[in-house]
Amino acid sequence: MATNLAEIDVVVVGLGAAGGVAVLPLTRAGLNVVGLEAGTWMNPGRDYKADEIHNNVRSLVTTGNKVAGEIPTVRNSPTATAVQQTRHPMMNAVGGTSIHYHAQSWRLNPWDFKVRSATLERYGADYIPQDTTLEDWPVSYADMEPFYDNVEYEVGVSGKAGNIQGQINPEGNIFEGPRQRDYPMPPLRSCDFLDHMYEAGQSVGYHPYHGPAAINSRPYDGRPGCQYHGYCDRGGCHVRAKNSTDVSTIPKAQATGNLEIRDNANVRRINVDNAGKITGVTYSRDREEFFQTARAVLLGCYTYENIRTLLLSTSAYYPNGLGNNRGQVGKHYFGHWDIQGGTLVTALFPFDLNIWYGAIAQGVMVDDWADDNFDHSGLGFIGGASLHVYTEKHPIGAAAMGTFGKVNRRWGSQWKEFIKKNAGRTQTAYIQTNTFPYHHTWADLDPNVKDPYGVPVLRVTNGRKQNEPMAAAHAANKMEAWFRAAGASAIVNSGGGRGPALSTHAHGGTRMGTNPDTSVCDPWGFSFEAKNLGILGGSVMCTAGARNPTQTIQALAWRTAHHLVEEWDEITA
Amino acid sequence: MSEKSSSGRDISRRKVLQSAVSATSVSLIPLTSCTTPVSAPQKLLSREAWLILEAFTDRIIPADANGPGAVAAGVPYYIENSLASWNAEELEVLTTGLFALTSAARNRYDLDFQLLSDNNKDALLRDMEDGKIDAFENSAVIFSRLHRLTLEGMFSDPYYGGNQGYIGWDLIGYPGAVMSSTAQMQQMGGRLPPLHTSAYGSDYDGE
Repeated sequence: MATNLAEIDVVVVGLGAAGGVAVLPLTRAGLNVVGLEAGTWMNPGRDYKADEIHNNVRSLVTTGNKVAGEIPTVRNSPTATAVQQTRHPMMNAVGGTSIHYHAQSWRLNPWDFKVRSATLERYGADYIPQDTTLEDWPVSYADMEPFYDNVEYEVGVSGKAGNIQGQINPEGNIFEGPRQRDYPMPPLRSCDFLDHMYEAGQSVGYHPYHGPAAINSRPYDGRPGCQYHGYCDRGGCHVRAKNSTDVSTIPKAQATGNLEIRDNANVRRINVDNAGKITGVTYSRDREEFFQTARAVLLGCYTYENIRTLLLSTSAYYPNGLGNNRGQVGKHYFGHWDIQGGTLVTALFPFDLNIWYGAIAQGVMVDDWADDNFDHSGLGFIGGASLHVYTEKHPIGAAAMGTFGKVNRRWGSQWKEFIKKNAGRTQTAYIQTNTFPYHHTWADLDPNVKDPYGVPVLRVTNGRKQNEPMAAAHAANKMEAWFRAAGASAIVNSGGGRGPALSTHAHGGTRMGTNPDTSVCDPWGFSFEAKNLGILGGSVMCTAGARNPTQTIQALAWRTAHHLVEEWDEITA
Repeated sequence: MSEKSSSGRDISRRKVLQSAVSATSVSLIPLTSCTTPVSAPQKLLSREAWLILEAFTDRIIPADANGPGAVAAGVPYYIENSLASWNAEELEVLTTGLFALTSAARNRYDLDFQLLSDNNKDALLRDMEDGKIDAFENSAVIFSRLHRLTLEGMFSDPYYGGNQGYIGWDLIGYPGAVMSSTAQMQQMGGRLPPLHTSAYGSDYDGE
């Protein structure tokens, strides 16, 4: 039997990028909050290393003990048997994936929130991708702006504004939506290679800029600036300059005295009463089961676990899963990796780049071929992709480089001579494609594969997309032109991608909307069916921008928590 | 890359395990902490397996006009350490693979693999990589894993037993692990001077 714990105001399930932000507005408003986190605190001095084997080969930062047993299965047709994957993007820890992510921290652009209506208006119905379930978001960029601003200042984001209240500054992204003020910190340091790419981008008529990052470019909030040591990827920051929530918003929430963190807590289900209202959360810790009563619950796990937790929380009122009486939980799922898996453009230069150090977020970005920033008439697709060149190169990965057809085998003296000369002379661009939901792509519980507790894992079913590979291939060609302008001597352009696979940028599955028949959450991120359940994370997003989703996830989490505070009496009635 | 593929090392590791001819009990393998450095051989591999492994890594990254190779860098030690710890589940299948390689050498040349001429070793390794050796069905998978481990050993932090004397990092021009870099350390226009620093301090200077 579960031990019943005294009622508190709010349980936040998962203290990662989303839940770790939501606790701040809640606790500042005076609500008593319990944060349940499946992992525990990381210790930068002990856990983070400038070591490719530790971070990248053995994944010793990113591999949590719980997530390793609950990796989703994947299949590429509804009739195939899904196969459990061996790597996954989730992490159990206070701070979650915000610990090891690259911390590129973007706002989505105004177009992202209204892709459907903007496409109909500019290009007509023929340009809406076939089989898509695309809807406009129930919020606009203007609705989101104050919450983006909160995140940029409270989490800490460095960058250069391209549009302050309509004033365009070409040092920033000229395509971004208007913001009320500049970032709290200037962009991360540039370097020779990035300056070189910047000039090359301008020479072909692009509008390059230094991308924003949730990394301190100078001391901020009592923590130091980035040291550019080159082990940001899959690693935590040894000096706490990366603004993961365990060093930024969570300590601020703790300082209010209103946040209690229970680590190593495995949430089993969200409980409801006979009328479908949330009563609390059942979790296990140290082999004991507890029931935490709460007036409201915010579910803030990774996209896959948000969907799974809802589907597993069945009851008389919700026989098919919590908030799923209309069958929408798990629908409208999509990930950047659906397309991005093969959209790689790699260049070889006839000179040493010296990008061993730095950080992946130390980069130059081009948005000219993303979103609706160019005329798509006659192209046959909508959206596009951002182009990003960056630093941080690890020696094993560098030596394992492709050989551009210049040597036959990746071993022996010929190959050794090749890598001796070229391992420091190559870089792969990062191309992120606008991605949309489709009828043929969804997530549900796997009928066969179970986690170590005997509970089904999530199953992802992917369909073949037509629009996104075309958009990606178009952008990849623009990337190739950029690399050539920078003096690349050889380029491998893999084209429009091969995907799909599990994604670190998993979106949808509990999307927001105005129509409860086609979405799970209302425009504030609360379940249409269980009104005192809010959902935080990429799972509520309606489209994927041509950029990393985390800042939008965090701004949405802030907004949902803010709404809970504002409408407390009505939501918890 | 911010996106992380679900493919990669673990997939190929799974392939290698699926290709194992005989089932093996990993509980028989002495497990050391995966972060414990070991700079001397653990005698995990038999002498026979060790010699084949050494010869294999020597042909993947040979000592030549471009500098010392995998053996001088201690790559076999890295691989043995890995098979004693993090990659213990691969020990059986990879040692079986090494013996299959030397069996192929005996069939073709009547000599153990390590005793072949460099040209004959390379001819056999090309067939191994291409999956063209009779009675060695998983040769391409074994080659791929041993090749990958050889690269890891050559270019990883010397803490793990390979890259001794920073031979691997000097080869490709990676200066060394640092806690902080300056703008000067990101300047183009030639190779950076070697730093010969490990993430684990001066105890692991590779000497």
